[in-house]
Amino acid sequence: MTKNTFPKVTRRQALKTGATAAAVGAAGPALTGTAFAGSVEDRIIAAAKAAAPGGVDVSGMMWSNYQVATSGAIKDFGDATNIRLPKIMDISTFEIPQRAMAEALSKSPEFDFFHVDSNMIPSLASAGLLEPLDEYMKKADFKINAVGNFGKFMTYKGKTYGIPTDGNVMVQFIRKDLFENPDERKAFADKYGREMTWPETWEEELELMNFFTRPDDNLWGSANLRDRGSSLVWWYMYLYSAGGFPFTDDMEPNINTDEGIYATQTFLNVKSASHPEAAGWGTPQMIPRIINGNAFSCQYWDGIIALAENPAKSKTTGKWTYGEVPGSKFSGKLIKRSCSTPVVSMLVNKHSPDKEAMAYMAMYMGTSGESAKIVGDRVNTFHDPWHVDHFKPGSLPEKTYTPGGMEAIKKNLQVTTPPIYLTGMLEFETELKRNISEAYAGDKTAKQVNADTTDAWARSIRRIGKRRLKEELETYKSLMPTIDVPA
Amino acid sequence: MTAQTTMSAAPINQRAATRAQGIRRFKWTVLTPFLALMIFILGPALLLQGYFSFFSFSIFDAGDDTSFLSYFRASQWVGLDLWADALTDSKFGFAIVRSLMFAVGVTVGCFIIGFALALLMYRPFRGQGFYYIFFILPMLTVPIVIAYTGEMILYQNGPLNDILSRITGLRIEAQFLYKQEIALTTIGFMEIWNWTPFSFIIMMAGLASLPKEPQEAAQILGANRFQIFFEVQLPLLRPVILLALILRFLESMAEFPKTWGLLQGGPGSATETIPVYIFINAWQYFDISYAAVLSYVVLILMVAIVMSAIWLLRREKKNLDAMYDAKPEEG
Amino acid sequence: MAMTKSQRRMSFSAFRYLVLTFWLCIVAFPIFWMVSTSFKPDKEWFAWPPVYISENATMMNYLVVWADVSEYATNEDGDLETYTQSLQRPWEALGNSALISVIATTLSVLFGAVLAYGVSRYQILSEGRMFQLLMLRMVPPIVLVAPISIWYSALGLLDSITGLVMLYFLTTLPYAVWMSKSFIDEVPREMEQAAEILGASRARTIWEVVLPLVRSGLVATFLFILILTWSEYLLALLLSKTAVVTLPVELSKYQGSTEGRVYGRQAALSVGITLPLIVVGMIIRKHLARGFSFGMVRR
Repeated sequence: MTKNTFPKVTRRQALKTGATAAAVGAAGPALTGTAFAGSVEDRIIAAAKAAAPGGVDVSGMMWSNYQVATSGAIKDFGDATNIRLPKIMDISTFEIPQRAMAEALSKSPEFDFFHVDSNMIPSLASAGLLEPLDEYMKKADFKINAVGNFGKFMTYKGKTYGIPTDGNVMVQFIRKDLFENPDERKAFADKYGREMTWPETWEEELELMNFFTRPDDNLWGSANLRDRGSSLVWWYMYLYSAGGFPFTDDMEPNINTDEGIYATQTFLNVKSASHPEAAGWGTPQMIPRIINGNAFSCQYWDGIIALAENPAKSKTTGKWTYGEVPGSKFSGKLIKRSCSTPVVSMLVNKHSPDKEAMAYMAMYMGTSGESAKIVGDRVNTFHDPWHVDHFKPGSLPEKTYTPGGMEAIKKNLQVTTPPIYLTGMLEFETELKRNISEAYAGDKTAKQVNADTTDAWARSIRRIGKRRLKEELETYKSLMPTIDVPA
Repeated sequence: MTAQTTMSAAPINQRAATRAQGIRRFKWTVLTPFLALMIFILGPALLLQGYFSFFSFSIFDAGDDTSFLSYFRASQWVGLDLWADALTDSKFGFAIVRSLMFAVGVTVGCFIIGFALALLMYRPFRGQGFYYIFFILPMLTVPIVIAYTGEMILYQNGPLNDILSRITGLRIEAQFLYKQEIALTTIGFMEIWNWTPFSFIIMMAGLASLPKEPQEAAQILGANRFQIFFEVQLPLLRPVILLALILRFLESMAEFPKTWGLLQGGPGSATETIPVYIFINAWQYFDISYAAVLSYVVLILMVAIVMSAIWLLRREKKNLDAMYDAKPEEG
Repeated sequence: MAMTKSQRRMSFSAFRYLVLTFWLCIVAFPIFWMVSTSFKPDKEWFAWPPVYISENATMMNYLVVWADVSEYATNEDGDLETYTQSLQRPWEALGNSALISVIATTLSVLFGAVLAYGVSRYQILSEGRMFQLLMLRMVPPIVLVAPISIWYSALGLLDSITGLVMLYFLTTLPYAVWMSKSFIDEVPREMEQAAEILGASRARTIWEVVLPLVRSGLVATFLFILILTWSEYLLALLLSKTAVVTLPVELSKYQGSTEGRVYGRQAALSVGITLPLIVVGMIIRKHLARGFSFGMVRR
């Protein structure tokens, strides 16, 4: 809490902690299952006490929306170690990458941590801002126990730089009430000559979305983002599922290829099922459309499951079904690729005098029990499940995300991918975003997009340094899933 | 003052000298803090900017070096390479064109509305004070507030489309912000709304200060309202009009909160103006060197514009002074 | 053609009121909309047709944003949940904004007026220099903010009130000098000479003769510069971190909100940002009436 001078906060905090406690109490079986986790927490606390005897106040960049759910864990950790977080720099998660880079530029010790998309690790580590955590993790005997390949998202060139608090992954959302409606199913079969089925490929999905695009009813087939801000997430899914990869082994741009053009074209094709204003809508504008019932389907961040299933906020509670994202047969076989960004994680500032204490606070938030409370918060649903234990039946996150939702999250986490996991990600992405959104809003072709982006990337590669980037390719590739479709 | 000294005798001369000394002391007392700030704050920034424009600095090479010298150690001499890049950068070219178009449109818009309102209002009438106070309200509104309030109003299901629909009887669903073709124009209208009061106030002051005699004389000679306006009032207003135009033009070249706060350069690249483009290079790519070059190009461009503007202004002001000074002889 | 003079005057008057009232609507509507939205409950933020004046007006937006009140809701299990809450620090931002803009503006106007007096009376700056001074304002701040941030971080001025005040002072000084000079120029020098002949000291002359005559002008200058410093966004965004958050930066935090646009909250905060300036403007409205011409007219 940032405003702990107000007496009201104490009341609120008390109520909130009470609510959490009640919820935890209700989820009793889950906690007995993680009895051993208590000892991990003890080890972390012991190590933290050794690192900062008497405690210390830390500070960091974090978005208040994310802070709310973590405040319980941070308070418990503070009570045990007197390492406290009285004040944060409260900025949006989408702005933290730039602001953290600015900190790297000024080499400032002011912030002890950055709660930011782990995909920024290569850039921030190259800029000398990040402290590797392996040594501290060894001291406390702490391991990141994530589903599938997800734990690797915290690594760079063999070192671990972050502790996840949020396992963002794209999940397929489909309106069950429309999808299962017999009249709709019949009309669809009449129109397309096939049964309406769960979309296995992007092409099938587009058919479905076009079918359910009904402007007169204020219903649109797609709620996928197409703005300049975050819409690349979709592009990555199209590219990777077509068997493409953005760079060659020699670190040349590799998108002016059949796979790359397919990805861009797939991105542009969704226009026919998207609201005309979608070109300007980011997630603040799109989420109300989803939960208010103005969209038939989308791939979206899994946290929206919790929002859509919260009757206090959503008009579509119980009307959704969640599952694997579609894939592509472009490469000759069906490949499904979800995408994880922003994977909001705790990264520690190398310039901070209290970096070791800070590392333990981060680890504490990543333990099975504490992370379950963080991702299980029903109201502040910004952190999403990632820990193996979150997916055990009866867990607290399951209550928030519904069993169907958890199954979908788990499936998608198995095939999730990073965005461009290289130094200069912001730059590579912005160039692509610029071109792709010009194409979406205007009349650029997919081929032009990829050709122009290739030119811009070539310049970026030159500037950032080809050798450096080539060294990083190995880490990038190690994050990619090894299976074609979720098991 | 020189005339005084030559005319006067020796002791007065001495007094004038002490007086001149006093003035000099006064001058430097006043100017020193200002110059100190210029030299210690802006000076080093400009020098750093100059350094980075010839030495390519990469934040990723400065990684393991924790000292402040790393800015220099991680920089490499590249000469004019970056300048060549900037001058052939079509995105930058478009940004300049967009900014110029935006600034011209906004300046003209603000001026026409502001001047028209001032013409209607500068003579006293019932309610003058009431309208005046309302008309300056937009200037008192913070740009970022205007941006967000604008979004609420321009939103497709927002009140503007509703009002237009009610008036025309059609269902209007204009996308003011998210259509590539009109996004910048929309921001332009917000800027005009915001800053018309500035032109309005300046023109009110200008019109109110016009001497009555020439107008009365013209009236007696049988000139109609339009003749009086174009041949008597307008020439006297030229310097103040020019000033209103110039200040507004330059301020709108630097417009940032509305463009960035609402659209961050999108949709497409439709709102990527000079400030947005430099911001992206400096604060998203952290390509400090390239941003430095872009900044210098803009600086040079702006200085050229400002110099010619100042030249124009001084000429107009001189003409005005000449016109007034010549008056007694005419009379 | 056949209209008499008084008819013509009447129709001009009607035309005038028509045009002015039309513009009044354009000016007032966004402000009205902001205020009206700030009282709407969340269901009406995006309603179609839009709600102009809410029948369910609520103070909740203000309470959530400014008084840190939370709404509570009960879910189907009977657990108490926080429904909405704001974790922002608008009062702190208000304090920072007020402090920074008032200090910078006062310095700028004081200093500008003294400089302007010197220019007006003793030509301590030539006309050319005066125009060069104006140039300081005409450089877009974005072109210098990156090196300034590096330099500031070396000096330890990042995220400090001093750092921002110095920059605001520098960037607004040209306006302060030009505006106050145009007012000082209007004071006839004969009045000062008369006072001096009567034996008044220089300081007393300035205090008792010049100042009362330029007070309105200086107040108008003060307001104009206050507007610029109060609403400055770019420098405040890039040169501050935790210690000095100003209101425009605080408002911009809603930009990245993922739970959808929170129009009501934004509006409640916007009203709080706008109100102080409007209040100041209203208090000193009679000083504004003479406008400012930057010395480009002769009186």
